[in-house]
Amino acid sequence: MSLLSIRDLRTEFQSPSGVARAVDGVSFDVAPGEIFGIVGESGCGKSATCRSILRLFGGAQAKVAGGRILLEGAGDLAAMPERELAQVRGRDVAFIFQDPLTALNPTMRIGKQIAEVILRHRKVGRTEARAQALQLLRDVHVTSPERRLDAYPHELSGGLRQRVVIAMALALRPKLIIADEPTTALDVTVQDQILRLLRERRDSLGASIILVTHDLGVVSQICDRMAVMYAGRLVESGRVREVLDAPSHPYTRALLAALPGQTGRDEELTPIEGAPPSLISPPPGCRFAPRCALAQPRCREGGPPPLLSRKGLAAGHLDACILNEAADAAA
Amino acid sequence: MPQLEFQKVERRFPVRRGLLDALARRPGISLHAVRGVDLAVRPGEILGIVGESGCGKSTLARLGVGLHRADGGAVLFDGQPLDGPDPAGRLQMVFQDPYSSLNPRMTIGAQLEEVVARYHPRLSRAERRARMQEILAEVSLSPETALKFPHALSGGQRQRVSIARALCPGPEILVADEPVSALDASVQAQIINLLKRLNRDKGLTILFISHDMNVVRYLCDRVAVMYLGEIVELQDSAALFAAPAHPYTRALIAAVPDVRRRQALAEPIAGEIPDPFAVLPGCRFATRCPLVEDACHRPQPMRPVPPAGLVRCWKASTA
Repeated sequence: MSLLSIRDLRTEFQSPSGVARAVDGVSFDVAPGEIFGIVGESGCGKSATCRSILRLFGGAQAKVAGGRILLEGAGDLAAMPERELAQVRGRDVAFIFQDPLTALNPTMRIGKQIAEVILRHRKVGRTEARAQALQLLRDVHVTSPERRLDAYPHELSGGLRQRVVIAMALALRPKLIIADEPTTALDVTVQDQILRLLRERRDSLGASIILVTHDLGVVSQICDRMAVMYAGRLVESGRVREVLDAPSHPYTRALLAALPGQTGRDEELTPIEGAPPSLISPPPGCRFAPRCALAQPRCREGGPPPLLSRKGLAAGHLDACILNEAADAAA
Repeated sequence: MPQLEFQKVERRFPVRRGLLDALARRPGISLHAVRGVDLAVRPGEILGIVGESGCGKSTLARLGVGLHRADGGAVLFDGQPLDGPDPAGRLQMVFQDPYSSLNPRMTIGAQLEEVVARYHPRLSRAERRARMQEILAEVSLSPETALKFPHALSGGQRQRVSIARALCPGPEILVADEPVSALDASVQAQIINLLKRLNRDKGLTILFISHDMNVVRYLCDRVAVMYLGEIVELQDSAALFAAPAHPYTRALIAAVPDVRRRQALAEPIAGEIPDPFAVLPGCRFATRCPLVEDACHRPQPMRPVPPAGLVRCWKASTA
């Protein structure tokens, strides 16, 4: 039973040179209490995918152009009118941004901001809301929480700000937390603290988390399952250890091979040559084929290949490689 | 003799005072970004400077190429005090954002030729052009790149152009400040390979500033770890990663997520880098250190640590 089922999601961005399909037929499920990682490089559509769930596109000319976003108990978010979706935001699904400053009001004290979230959705008085805000700050291990209630965002360090944002996200006990590069702006020792905090809150509240990141190390550290995204499509998904220890799609393998630490110091790193394709007019067939060392003529034909299970891969470990498809058919 | 040497280098930045502070004649305060750094860069090595934001690593990089002056101590280049950027261009810098060091209105070829001309005025136009093409080839860019403008290049290509630009004067030392931090992993690898090749094939000395421990481990021969303006550990790279001596180095390495496994949950270090204005007479890491004792609040000199390192922690030899 899934908490969230995304089916054939399509999200389009209007750009001066045409319509960019940032998300082009993405499907995945998130189980209750699971931490699901979406990884990929800049422009692959990972952020657009998670923003589509709550239609948080900022000022961008973007829209969910197709597909379903089924949230348990709430229905299809993709078909929901804006007014209803506004109720889902924060209450059922919370969003954590990369830069905590964008999520905090610079002119309002921390305590008041958290209390406002509670007051907007719950029938409680101001005193009770403030007491809950204090408890939330304790839950995310903010030191001297009483004093921080009266602080302004600029008075806090980056790590503390991100803790406050997480406290706000947890305020209404959402079933799903979407975190878009939540630790990318933080130092590594602070990143470690925030990742532990997310996992600890998942353990105690049972909420699911979708974690979007470019960092495979972060996924390895806290996610249960993961999907790898390339040019608007998922190319591989499965349990984290299976995908990272036995990657099956050539893109996932290339991504891992490019990281320092996989080879000895004397060997050269193996970069991926070329650049990702245009999302306005993507190439036919597999979108990674133009950069794939293994590509065959048949990889460059037809529609984009779907994610499928494979012989020899663990159950639930899927990939979208045309060559693996052919190997299965031949076997 | 070391090629580039920092001797007890100090650097403070005055912090802007408000009108009221000035009227009240409150003394100005300053941020002590680099505190008594002693460091000798050896010819032909890749020396990594690592640390978290605000530790002073970028300030040290700029001091090393003469973009900042030291307020105390000295920066020596070939034994001579470095008094501003080297006129012969023997010290060159590469920045994190390649856009900032490229002119958006000039073709790549024209900007590179301009730099070649500035440092090698006696070359003819044809020689300058030939030199420019040689440098493009050195950074693995096609000859056609010369005709393009910066915006037409990918992030990785732009970073190669900024490295090419730094190579034009024919430098002896390249100081690279987070040169791969803004790039995707697949592209990062190209730039790392390029730096390694320049070091190996041309003997270029590289001072590599980074916050990414995985990249530093792969690329650098020696590593200096900075914390709040001080070097807290200096070691051969292999020794540093195998047996980090300073508790901060240990915390930094332990916090790096590994793609190959989920690490055992060692206790993370608490807190964040404290207020840089804080007056801390002893070890500056003491406020977060799990091993802290009273003796840590006394001044901590660097002490030798086997096999050939230095560490600013009195407990390191016993720990």
